[in-house]
Order: sequence, then C-alpha cells, then structure tokens
Amino acid sequence: MKKMIATVALGALLVGGFVFAQDNTTDTASNGELEPSIFNMMNFKGDL
Amino acid sequence: MEIGSFIKLQRVKQGMTQEELADGIVSMSYLSKIENQRTDASPEVISMLCTRLGIELNSEKDETIKEKCQNWFNMLFEQNDKSEIISTYEEISQLMSVVRSDNLMMFEIHKIRYFLLIGEYDKALEQINSLSEVAGSFDNTHLYYWYKFKGNYSSVIGEFTHAMRMYRLAEKKINQINISDAEQADIYYIIAITHSKLRNVLETIDYTNKAIDIFQREYNFIRCAQCHIVLGIAYRRIKMYEKAIKHYNLAKHLGGLNKNNEMIQLTNQNLGYLYSNIGDTKEGIKHFLEVVKDEKTKVTGRLMAVTNLIKEYYKIQNFDKVEEMIVVANNLLKQDKNDVYHRLYNYIVLTFEYAITNQDEKFTSLLIEEFIPYLKKQKDHANLIIYSNMIAKHYESVGRYKDSVKYYKLANLTYEEVVNL
Repeated sequence: MKKMIATVALGALLVGGFVFAQDNTTDTASNGELEPSIFNMMNFKGDL
Repeated sequence: MEIGSFIKLQRVKQGMTQEELADGIVSMSYLSKIENQRTDASPEVISMLCTRLGIELNSEKDETIKEKCQNWFNMLFEQNDKSEIISTYEEISQLMSVVRSDNLMMFEIHKIRYFLLIGEYDKALEQINSLSEVAGSFDNTHLYYWYKFKGNYSSVIGEFTHAMRMYRLAEKKINQINISDAEQADIYYIIAITHSKLRNVLETIDYTNKAIDIFQREYNFIRCAQCHIVLGIAYRRIKMYEKAIKHYNLAKHLGGLNKNNEMIQLTNQNLGYLYSNIGDTKEGIKHFLEVVKDEKTKVTGRLMAVTNLIKEYYKIQNFDKVEEMIVVANNLLKQDKNDVYHRLYNYIVLTFEYAITNQDEKFTSLLIEEFIPYLKKQKDHANLIIYSNMIAKHYESVGRYKDSVKYYKLANLTYEEVVNL
C-alpha cells in the first residue's frame, strides 16, 4: 500500500512537471488546472 | 449585405432550390447570376423574388432591426440574463423572417455564438454548415466574426489546433475592419487561452499581455482578472511559481472587489493545483477545500476540487479524510450526471474507494477493464500515467511481476508521448 501511495504522489508530480510540454489537444481541466472560459466570465448572470 | 447574397441566404435557409425560386420569374441561370452578384437585377425582379420568399422590403423596419441586433450582439459579449438573450433572439428571428434586412448576415453569423452560449453545440455546427454555402459573399467584417465564432466552436469541442487556425485568420482581419478596442482585446484573450490549451507558454504570455493592456485602459477588472489567471497558469508551467502566485492573487483580489464568486473559486482551484504540484500539500488542501465548501460554486468546479482533495489526502495517507471526501464526491456526482467529466470523476472516486478499502479485485478490474481503456480513448495522458503507475505498483506489491511490467511500460510510453521524445 505504501508503495502505491508513493507512486500516486510521484505520478502527480511528474505529470504536473511534464504536461506543459504537450502539443496536442488534451485538456488539463480534468486534472486540476483550469483556464477561464473563452467567453466572458459568467455570461449569464447568476449562473454560478 | 448585397441583395444577391441576401436572396441566396434566404433561399438556402428555406430549403428552396434555384429552380423553385426562379420558376416563372427569371431563368435559373439568371437567378444564379443575381445570387452571385454578377448582375444587377431590376427592382421588379427583386421584388418578385422577395415576395416568393415571403420577405418584405421595408427600410424603416430595417432601422429597428439594426438597433435590436446591435443590442443583441452586445448581449452576447457581456454578462446578461439568459432569458433576455433568448427572448431578444426570438424577437429578431421573427422580424428577420419577414423583412429584408442588411443585418441578416451578421445576425446569422452571431447565431453561432448564441448557440454556443446556450449550450446548443449541435445547432451551432448546423449553423456553421449552413452558412458555409454563402461564406463566399462575406465582407471583411463578416469574415472576422465568421472565423472567430468557428474558432469558438472548435474551442468548445476541444479542437484547439483548429480553433487557433480560425482565430489567427480573424486576427489578420483586425486591421481591415472597424472594431472596438474591447473586441480587439477579446480576440487577443481568446488566442491566449488557446495557446495555453496547446501549451505554448511564451505565446500565451505575449497575447495575454496584449489583452490585459487594453482591458486595463478600459477599467474592465473582470477581464483583467481572467488574464491574470491565464498568466498564473503560464508562469506555473515554466516553474516561475512566485510570479504565478502573484498573478493568481491579483485575480482573486479583482474577483473580490467585483464580488465575482466564480473568479475567486477559479483562482482557488488553480492555487490549489500549484501548491499540490510543488509538494505543498497543506496549502493545496486549503485552497481546494475553499472550492468544495462553497455551495454557490458549480458542481463541476467542486467535483474537480474534491477529486484533487482525495488525491492529496491519499498522498499523506490520511485515509479518514479520503473516505470523507469520497462521500462528498459521490453526493456531487449524483447532482450532475451530464457533466463531460462525470465519468472520469466517477472512475477516480471508485479507484480510491477500492484502494483504501483493500478491495483488490474490484480495484484491478475497474482500472484494467474500464478506467485505463477510457483514459486511452480520451488521450488523457496525464491521468493515464498516474493510474497505469498505480496498477503497476499494485501488481508489483502482490508479486505479479509480468502484469506489473506491462503497466509500467504503458506509463513510460505515455510519458514519452507527452514529452514528445
């Protein structure tokens, strides 16, 4: 179990460091880093 | 908009053939010449064609339409009430269907953005396809918005390389048309976001700076805050963490001044990711928790934060907290089954649930039969590396070395693909 924990931790760090080198279209939204919308933020009032 | 293009657009919209429209009025070849602006038809012919299309030629009404359109175009760029945007759209559509208006083409082009804003992506694509037939008659202003909104569609469906091509074409039109500074800043901002999605860090910084210069001059603080987040992400990627934190804090400050909760939580999410990335778990958890606890934040945002929290607590072996967060995540998952990332978050939650409760069989079958194939299909390299490593390590710990090697290999190959070796 400890080894597994270490792997997850290491994996997360590695990914964070290297993902920026990608030139394809993978979106990191699922990972935790998120750009604002291409539309004006909250185009719809109250749509939080 | 030229009358020929107008007639063609209306005919295509109504699904009429040239033969049907021309029948008894002009020859088909002459109609074709009118539509392609290779001849000037007499007012009588134009009037007869418009009558057959059910269109009224009325310049007074066109003035009213012009004002309504301008108002509606602005609504699509500013914060507005969704129902108001929809009702104005319906009102203009009604007018446009019976009156010949010079604004028709711009209205038709703006419909693409409208459909994207209300989440009707299929209709946006249909609109793009239908306008492609008349795109040959677009002037430079039409072309600017045509490229921009086609780019918006590609962005929304995640095709960022194509989106970038469209935005660059729009950018080239800027000097040939008359657009506001705010519009110019918006295209720079969109290009910056797209560069960010494509991991072109230096270009991201360059375009964001161009956009922020204009937004600052116009005192548009929320747009400035959006730019600060993009800069924060860019500097985080080149490991200039202090500068990244400075930009995130500026975004948060501006969000606070404007009481913009979404901006504040978006900043917390990115700050959490930054701290987690540099190994400062405590700070990472602090920021993710702020997002999760805020019930005003969209479920999608809270799900992203809570899955990050599960990973952080697992890293520090705080399994009670992992369990607690799994309960929160499951509740959120029930609330938003339509989210694009719903399946991914569900897999993540289940993976950690099986891992902390030592349900080895369920853990391995979930990862091998469902989660990893899903990540491969989605080309989600980042998660593929994490979870292939996780299953490989598990196999190693139970002595199944052959299986273990298989998944270490997968992690390595994915990693190589990521760094493009």
